[in-house]
Amino acid sequence: MEKRGSVDGSSPPEWLLVELQGEVITRHNSGLAGNVMGDLLYTKEGVPVLIVGHHILYGKQVKLEKPFAVLTKHSSHSQDSLGSHDNSVITQVPMETNQQGPTSTSYSVSALIKRKLIFKTRPKPIITNVPKKV
Amino acid sequence: MRTLEEVRATLEIAKLKEEDLQKTIHCLSFGDNVSSADYCLMELDDTLCKHIEAGQSLVIRGDKDERAVLCSGDNTYDLKIADTSNLLLFVPGCRTPDQLTNSQDSSHVAHTQIWGFCNSYWELRKHRPKLKKLKKILMENPYEGPAIRGQEENTENRVKYTMEDLLERIQASEEEIKTHLETIHACQIDGYWRVLDFDYEMKLLGHVTQLVDSESWSFNKVPLQNSLEELAPLEPKEMIEHCLNCYGKRYNENDKVFYALHEDKVCRGVALMLLQNAVKFNLREFQEVWQQSVPEGMSTRLDQLKSVALVDRTSRPETICLLRVEDLPEDTLERFNHLFTLREKWTEDDITPYIQDLCGEKQTTGALLTKYARSSMQNGIKVFNSRRPVAT
Repeated sequence: MEKRGSVDGSSPPEWLLVELQGEVITRHNSGLAGNVMGDLLYTKEGVPVLIVGHHILYGKQVKLEKPFAVLTKHSSHSQDSLGSHDNSVITQVPMETNQQGPTSTSYSVSALIKRKLIFKTRPKPIITNVPKKV
Repeated sequence: MRTLEEVRATLEIAKLKEEDLQKTIHCLSFGDNVSSADYCLMELDDTLCKHIEAGQSLVIRGDKDERAVLCSGDNTYDLKIADTSNLLLFVPGCRTPDQLTNSQDSSHVAHTQIWGFCNSYWELRKHRPKLKKLKKILMENPYEGPAIRGQEENTENRVKYTMEDLLERIQASEEEIKTHLETIHACQIDGYWRVLDFDYEMKLLGHVTQLVDSESWSFNKVPLQNSLEELAPLEPKEMIEHCLNCYGKRYNENDKVFYALHEDKVCRGVALMLLQNAVKFNLREFQEVWQQSVPEGMSTRLDQLKSVALVDRTSRPETICLLRVEDLPEDTLERFNHLFTLREKWTEDDITPYIQDLCGEKQTTGALLTKYARSSMQNGIKVFNSRRPVAT
């Protein structure tokens, strides 16, 4: 993870984006948090490879034409609740009233994303019942 | 948490050889935050990205149902949700091959959490810059030529603008302003940006074209030095050169500077000069006079007048009149209303030059017509009219 230095050091960190075709299906309906998603490897030539369940996907690293910002919503304006990374504040203001009352929402930029690993090739299924060599 | 042994077993099943891979293996798992709805992804352009990196703040305005706009400095962007059929995962701790040190001898597992994911993001569309105001404020005090000997330029008390002044007053970037200044033939005089009074600009053009004809030069090879010498008694050299820059392309040949006069620009300028003087012209008469008035060798064509003149082919005789897009309202709805007040039904060819500048990023005139006009067939041709009753 690269941190971009700037004069006052308040730039958000840079994260990586991983883009996959299709949805990730979990076996359990208990939700995703805590679950393993897969293994990400790189070949010696730098090609990213993702093993997800019974699929193997090959991808490539791409620089984004338009970077992304990851925005995290905050329900209050309290500056104390913001982490040290969250510097840039984006305030949503309703158009009718120009006041920042309880109805306004603010977002902070948790990270910037400038590069991604994109896995577009059709996943190859991994055949598991191959007899192991003795 | 997955161990290295488990990973190695997976590699074997997947028929991947450890020696073909780099040493760091990221085991990705979902973090605790993933299921909360409190985050989203927003696309940025370079300006916004630098803005955020500098720690500056932005404002989003709008209701839940209406479209939202993002305001930053002097730019306004429309925000629109874009769905992608792909899954986007954001992974803070994940390294790419160029970031791996590969200093270790054996493979190792890096447990990496996926912080969040989504399949849609906010897309930004920049509003087109509001440049009409630029010409308007400069027209408050157009440059009419050098002061007559003995008199001061009698506009001393009127406002003049430097580039800094313009940047403050116009909702556009410096680049956009500079380009537009060139389009309206503005020039810097004593550090202030000025537009030329139309008659003065035509006077300069007239001097140049008459000189080209009398010297029998090719209009593609007008020598700068000779032009300045010949015309110096009549006008300031800077103005002659400015006129050549507006209506021609500068080039060097054998250490001499020449200009290739731009046929379309010169013809258009001459047409504007002729059309200024009356409400409507008989089309045929106009075309004859026009052709005779342009430099030897240049050809006039009606399509040179797109967005500055309107031809009426339904009247007998056919007529032409001045209609400049820059004189029309800037707001899209007002523009359409105005156009439909001038003429009830328009063909796509006729109306397109007058709505082209209304298109935002990735928008077409076709899309605008679908939204703001109603189409029908007239004599086998598709025509557009207003969506609401308009008094003509």
